[in-house]
Parts: sequence; structure tokens; C-alpha cells
Amino acid sequence: MNSKLIKELPELVENDVISQDVAFKIERYYQSKASDTPNRLFTVFGVLGSILVGLGLILILAHNWDNFSKTIKTLFAFAPLIIGQVLVGFSILKKKSQTWNEASGVFLFFAVGASIAMVSQIYNIPGSFTNYMLVWILLCTPLIYLLKSHALALLHLVYATVYACNYGYANGSKAPWLFLVLLLLLLPYYITLIKSKPKANITSIFNWLLPISLIITLGAFITKFDELIFLSYIILFGLFYNLGKLPVFNNLKLRQKGYLVLGSFGTVVLLLIASFRWVWEDVFRISSFSGKEITLVIVLFVVAFGVLIYLFLKKQAEKFNLFHYIFIIMTILFFIGLQNDISPTIITNILLLVLGINAIKIGVDKMHFGVLNYGLVIITALIFCRFFDTNMSFVIRGLLFVIVGIGFFTTNYIMLKKQKSKETKILK
Amino acid sequence: MKLKYIFTLFILVVIAQLFVPMQMIFGQEAVLNNGKAYKFRTQPVDPSDPYRGKYITLRYDINAAVSVDSTWERKQDIYVYFEEDSLGFAKLTEVSKAPLVNAKDYVKTQVNWYNKYDSNVTFNLPFNRFYMEENKAKPAEDAFRIAQRDTLPNNTYALVYVKDGEAVLKDVIINEISIADYVEEK
Repeated sequence: MNSKLIKELPELVENDVISQDVAFKIERYYQSKASDTPNRLFTVFGVLGSILVGLGLILILAHNWDNFSKTIKTLFAFAPLIIGQVLVGFSILKKKSQTWNEASGVFLFFAVGASIAMVSQIYNIPGSFTNYMLVWILLCTPLIYLLKSHALALLHLVYATVYACNYGYANGSKAPWLFLVLLLLLLPYYITLIKSKPKANITSIFNWLLPISLIITLGAFITKFDELIFLSYIILFGLFYNLGKLPVFNNLKLRQKGYLVLGSFGTVVLLLIASFRWVWEDVFRISSFSGKEITLVIVLFVVAFGVLIYLFLKKQAEKFNLFHYIFIIMTILFFIGLQNDISPTIITNILLLVLGINAIKIGVDKMHFGVLNYGLVIITALIFCRFFDTNMSFVIRGLLFVIVGIGFFTTNYIMLKKQKSKETKILK
Repeated sequence: MKLKYIFTLFILVVIAQLFVPMQMIFGQEAVLNNGKAYKFRTQPVDPSDPYRGKYITLRYDINAAVSVDSTWERKQDIYVYFEEDSLGFAKLTEVSKAPLVNAKDYVKTQVNWYNKYDSNVTFNLPFNRFYMEENKAKPAEDAFRIAQRDTLPNNTYALVYVKDGEAVLKDVIINEISIADYVEEK
């Protein structure tokens, strides 16, 4: 795209759209920008190379070389670690480029894991996999800040998630509370990223990975009362949606809005599940709950509510956008559901319908085809779900589908026409 | 000035990264050098670990104890005490919830479950993982099964050093030969 612009510069100068001076400046600007790119590519390949070499090392050491003496094995355990440390020390002391920092840091990360694993092998230390992961991650956390390394921050997040899943889901009975500590350790780095480069690629990667990691791990915290999983997830998605509406995230492109997209999509999927009566029959059967799970749900709710209030104070919330309040409504419904399973089912269905119409309205107002069709998809999915558990005749079901289908065509067509008329107005 | 600061912090990280594996080594070496060697009768089976390579899991004959105390809970700490029998193998003497004041050797592990009907508390001894070269782990399991078919009673045991509740698995022996060599010979 840049080269296209540069190619068109002479034409623009010829037709007196811009002056020669401006054309020169534009060219210079893109050239200086281009000189950054190969460097970034080099960093990516450096990191990939380090990951491959590091993982390869771990695999080679995992062969368990029986024929070597204990001393030689021990030397092997420390060699990659010390090489990695020397490389990282060199990058810091000589103030090497970001490429150096990232690549050497990633290598050291895997060398630490390899050396602990190797010592475990030599002495047949049974220690659990999760403890091993935890020690490994913690030993490398400071490197994120010392090297200002994005790759290490990503590895930290990914491995912390693996840790939480292994600890929580595999064991079943214990919640991985230390995962929260690992996340807290990463938070300052993430906040600096948001503040210093809100629109950079790396920041948007975190905008997606962080909520995804939380979505994956949240279930591991609910160990005793499975019914609370539903409630905690709906609140989590509400939190994500409202976080996504914060000024720092709201001005980004759609593909950078991880929180908003995941929050909105997750809410809709959960509501669709909750539009079936059996979900509420399960809730109805709950006799009591207590303990850490409830605390977790309350904390989540308070945080989500806090973000919502902040949005109102900053006048960022759209008063009639139902997505903001879904988590509050669903929490109330959950408690109603403890006494009664019919009204929550009906209300959930109505909520979905309103959400769909809401999205269509936002889509029309903002002339956004994506949001418009998102609303239509919500309504279609709702109708589709009701096909499973209602005794409507096939004729009525068929008619409903035809009506929604026509709705798709007409709304899109009207929007397209509107947009065209607007464009022609601008051109005139 | 800032570089100095960062580098000092880095050196601290380096020390921590070196300290963890070294401390593991020293702890294990101390047990191997000063601990008492026990033979635990065992059976090997063959799983794997994505990071640390192939190992054989050892299923020990000592895996349960009679206990009148019925308040055992899953994953609770349990202290397993043992002594040497006349054949030189480890023999379970008692289990307890807290360390006992006696001179006997013990290891600390976790309760699997408590069976109320026969008042039995079951557990796995913690040194149940023996790392082997990747192409030897499976043959080792097979070798054990073949060795069991001969007339001798269970002739497979783990050589474990124990000191102050710490245990280090040194080797697994089949018919008085180290399992790694035994597999190679076959």
C-alpha cells in the first residue's frame, strides 16, 4: 500500500494536489518506516529459532543418556543454562538490539526448563509436573522486565495457562490460585504496553491472549459447585465486554478488540445455552453453596460492576446497549432460578431477542454491516435453538425461517442503498 | 547507572536460576552419601513425560497400611515408617499423620484413599519414577514380566536411599542386575 502511494506521488504533484516538498516528505517518511521492517522480521525469526533450538535441546536431553556418567550428565544439564545466561548478560551489557534481547531471552527460558528437567532425571526426582512448571516460570519472570522482551511475556502467559490447566483440570479438586499470582506478575508489563503502544501488534496479541487465557482457566477455579461455572463465565464475559468499551480499547480496530469481541460473542453463546430450560432446571436443583467459589464469583462481579460504573462516569457507556448490563441481569436471574425455573428461561429468550435487535440497531446507526449481520445471526440462532424444544408445527417453523431470511436480504439491501446515497452525496 | 542496576538484577536472576538445580543436586547427593539403603519390592510400568523424557513408573508392594484412624482424607500428608526385614527388604512398620519421635526411617507422601470396610489407608511411595533411556523404558517393563515368570519370588526391587524423610531412588534391580544393563543383555 505504501509503495502504491509513493508511485502515485508524481501524479499528485503534476496535478498540483500536493507540492514537491510534501511529496518528498511523504517519500522520506515511508522510507524511514520501511527500514524498520526487516529488523522486526529478523527479531521474529530470531525468536522462532531460539524456541526451536530450546525445545530441541529439551527433547535431546529427555532421551536420558544412560551411558554417560552422572558428572557428564550434570555438565550437560548446566551447559545450556550457562550459555543462555552469558548470551543474555552480553545483550544487556553491550546494549544489543531488541533482536538480541528477544532471542537470547527465549533461549535462556528453555535452558532453565531443560536444566531443571535434566537434574530431575539424573536423580529420579518424582516432583509433580505442575511444581516443575511453576518453578520454571517464576525463575524466568524477571527476564521479561530486564530484557523488555515481548516473546518472554508471551511465553510466560502461555506456560502459566498450561500450568493452571494441569493443576486445576487434571487434579480436579484444587483451584490454581497461584496462576493469578503469575498473571499479576505480568500485569505491569501489559499496562506499560497499553500505555506506550496501544495500537502495536504485540499489544493486540495480548488483548486477545489474556482474555482467552482467563476463559480457558476460569473453569479450573470452580472445583466443587459446577453450577457456578455458568454464572462465573457470564460475569467474566460481561467484564470483558465492559473492559472492551474502556477508552483505551474502544478506539482500536475490530481485530484488535479482543475483550469486546470475546465478551460479546461469549455472552451470546452462553445466553443461547441458557435459553434451554434444562440449564435452569439444574440451577433449580442447587441446595446451597459456599466457600472460595462464591468469593471468586463475588469478586468477579464487583470488578465487572466497577468497570461499568467507571464507563458511566467517563460517559463511555451507551445507555441503551443491553450488552453492558447482561451480567447483572443474568446474576439476578440466577438467584431467581434457585426458586423457579420457568421465568428465567423465558426472560433469557427475550433477552436474546432484544440483544439481536439491539445489535441490528447499532449496525444500522453506525452503517456497519458486520454488526448488523451479527444481530441477525443472534436472532437466527435463537430461532434455531427453539426448534429443538418447542412443539411448533413445521409450517410455522418454516415460515419463521423464511421471514428471517427475507429480513437478512432487506436489511442488508436497505443499508447498502443508504450507504450508496450517502457516498453520492459526498461526491456531489 | 541504569545499566548497572539492570545488570545487578540480572546477576541475581542468574544466581537464582543456578541455585534451584544446584540445590536439588546437593539435597539428593546428601541423601545418597549419608542415607541408609533400602530395597523396596516393586513392579515397573511404562508411561512418559513431555519434558523430562521416558521413565518407568514403579508400583511398590508397600502401598497400604491398616489404620484404625478413619479420618484420613485424600491428598493428606502421611508419614510411612519402615525397617529392614530378615531378607534385607524394606518392611512397613506403621503410618502416621505427623512425624513420630523414634529412630526409624520414614518417607512423607500423600494418601490415595481410606477404605472404611477393611480399615485400610492406601498411598503411593513418592519415589515411583525411574528415568530411562527412551528406547529402554518399554523393554524394561517387558523384561520385568519375563523375569517374574521364573521360579524365584518377586526378584525386582528399587534401591532407595533414605535420610531424615528424604528418599532418593538410585536404581532398579532385576535378578541382582541394574535394570538398564539387564535390558541391554537381553
